[in-house]
Amino acid sequence: MLWLYLHFPHLLLDHIRRSRENQGALAVVEGSGQKVIQACPQAQSKGVRGGMRLKTAISLVPELGMVRADHQQEARILEDQARWLYRYAAHIVLVPPDGLLAEVGSLQRLYGGLAAVWQTVEQGLSERQLNAWVAIGHTPLAARLIARTGKGECTSDKGHILRALGQMSLMAAEFDDKTRTRLQRIGLNTLGEVLALPSNELARRLSPETLAHVQKIQGKRADPKTPWQPPHAFRQQADFVQEIEQSQGLLFPLQRILSELEEDLCWRQQDTDSLFLVLQHRHQEPTRLRIRTSGPEHRAEAFLNLIRLRFEQHPLRAPVISLVLSVKRFLGREAVTGQDLLGETQDLNEAWHTLISRLQARLGDNALRQLSPQADHRPERAWSAAEVLRGQNTRLPDYTQLPRRPLWLLKGPQPLTEAPLLWFSGPERISGGWWDGQRVHRDYYIAQLANGQLAWVFRDVRDGWFVHGWFG
Amino acid sequence: MSEILNTLMQDARIWQGHRHIHTGQPSEPTGYQALDNQLGGIGWPRGALSECLLDVPGIGELQLMLPLMQRLSHGGKTVFWLNPPHTPYAPALAREGVNMDQVVLINTAEDGDFLWTLENCLRSPVTGLVMAWPGKLAAREIRRLQLAAEAGSNVCVLFRERRYAEQNSPAALRLELAPGDQQDLKVNVLKRRGSWPGQCCSLAMKHRADLAFQEAPRVVQGPWSGRAG
Repeated sequence: MLWLYLHFPHLLLDHIRRSRENQGALAVVEGSGQKVIQACPQAQSKGVRGGMRLKTAISLVPELGMVRADHQQEARILEDQARWLYRYAAHIVLVPPDGLLAEVGSLQRLYGGLAAVWQTVEQGLSERQLNAWVAIGHTPLAARLIARTGKGECTSDKGHILRALGQMSLMAAEFDDKTRTRLQRIGLNTLGEVLALPSNELARRLSPETLAHVQKIQGKRADPKTPWQPPHAFRQQADFVQEIEQSQGLLFPLQRILSELEEDLCWRQQDTDSLFLVLQHRHQEPTRLRIRTSGPEHRAEAFLNLIRLRFEQHPLRAPVISLVLSVKRFLGREAVTGQDLLGETQDLNEAWHTLISRLQARLGDNALRQLSPQADHRPERAWSAAEVLRGQNTRLPDYTQLPRRPLWLLKGPQPLTEAPLLWFSGPERISGGWWDGQRVHRDYYIAQLANGQLAWVFRDVRDGWFVHGWFG
Repeated sequence: MSEILNTLMQDARIWQGHRHIHTGQPSEPTGYQALDNQLGGIGWPRGALSECLLDVPGIGELQLMLPLMQRLSHGGKTVFWLNPPHTPYAPALAREGVNMDQVVLINTAEDGDFLWTLENCLRSPVTGLVMAWPGKLAAREIRRLQLAAEAGSNVCVLFRERRYAEQNSPAALRLELAPGDQQDLKVNVLKRRGSWPGQCCSLAMKHRADLAFQEAPRVVQGPWSGRAG
């Protein structure tokens, strides 16, 4: 097996820089706000270094943009990277806080060589404006160690990899402080010298853990990794250094996120029809927007137009500090079928199913009903609502023998509040239900009310008068 | 007529509105000859919105739609009822010859879903007729629906309250419905394409309750005693 390791030296910086229109100097500050942890190249050129006190950094670059380090945010950003990498490699392992591991040995034939895999990954990185140090190793740990020194090479030669490891200092080999001191006291300075020692000696004179670490680097001990599974939903977040006050300013980061969504949808072979956009404000409840398209859609441009329209109608309530775009509902993509040679449009049957399933998906299964007459004397039981099914073109029963009934039936009988103007036909006695306890015993009349409505009214056993339907 | 007007007329420099232009727009006959005549032989426009404005249900408004429902449902087109105020009574519809397999009743709970549903129904090729009871609609929303209706080629009838007759609307056909004295339906054309509005007609709707063969009302004297039970 061969492993490819991506080490992101300043992932948070990259993440924030690419959502920004103006490329000013930027630094990541540790949680307490005392020290600079990372500085972007522009800040570095002006003298800002990692580990520098924040006050010093600000006096060097007064317009320095500052971002507070946040572990949750970093973990999320790392997962975003895993998501696009998953398109190229199946077996991915997250190595928080700043690394990704991918098994590439099995991909060589698919891509036509290791160099092609390497190139694909590099291209993916540059498309996303990310800085990463890439390395290949025969074990996960070897790949990681080489990547973190930034000396990764595109080679599958084990000897070459071992030579690169051999030259590594003990510090870079990630031994803990205590072990490192002991190794140095023995007189070992590079990883190569440690690897050369016999394993039983290493275990006896140092510790079994040290041996395990060394053997994992060499590949003599199993180093199982749980593969990462991509989530089903799409979620992207953009964080801003300066609050954005105009909705226009949100369109730039949205454009990038939407084009990633388009790519993601294309890759899934799916469409969507609703996006959720959450705008976080500093002092207010976040604004939640639901953007719906009238049909399945995957094009970033179409989404962006909808969002732009929405922003035009509803200006921002407060300055925005971050935005999250998520998509949870995915629809299978439909092939665009044009007219065929005879000018017939697409199969109506299929269009019918598409429409009904779309409506059901959005409104719930119970929102759509198909009505049919039932054999019962009681008006409220003489019909039924069932789930929508495509008719099988069976011969329709002859319903012309049914008695005359109103086209509207009220959801329940309503008390008759006024004396009708005119009486027409009646009484028609309907009595039934003695067999199932839902007893109905009524005399039905047709009458016209003062406002011109033609009503189906009845008198029940207790002499109450009710309207049960309208002759619409 | 004044001299100036005469000259204008002779030079044909003024458009005379009495010439009905037969627009080539697709349409469905209403099934009522009298109404079709008033609508210039066009009937319900397809690919456009129609509005029926009425105060209360039960004056014959569904009877007006029945010929269209019968024809479309047997032609394999689906008839959607969107948010009707009461239950469409299946035995009565079936008796009138509507194919109930093609009738779909939709009830939407949320406000935003109504327009979305209507738009989707209008755009689908399977739809023949959509009857919708929208409640409140902003002019902008009607415009949106009009655009959706143009995307498809089916009949869409919105049933709204009569007080909206005052408001303007982008709908292609607007009918004001009112009950007549003889259980008939008085139709007043508020707006139509290709000609002036203002036509009125009365459609006999007595047969909807089998009253057609009774010479006069009060044939059957009701048991009403003058006080509501």
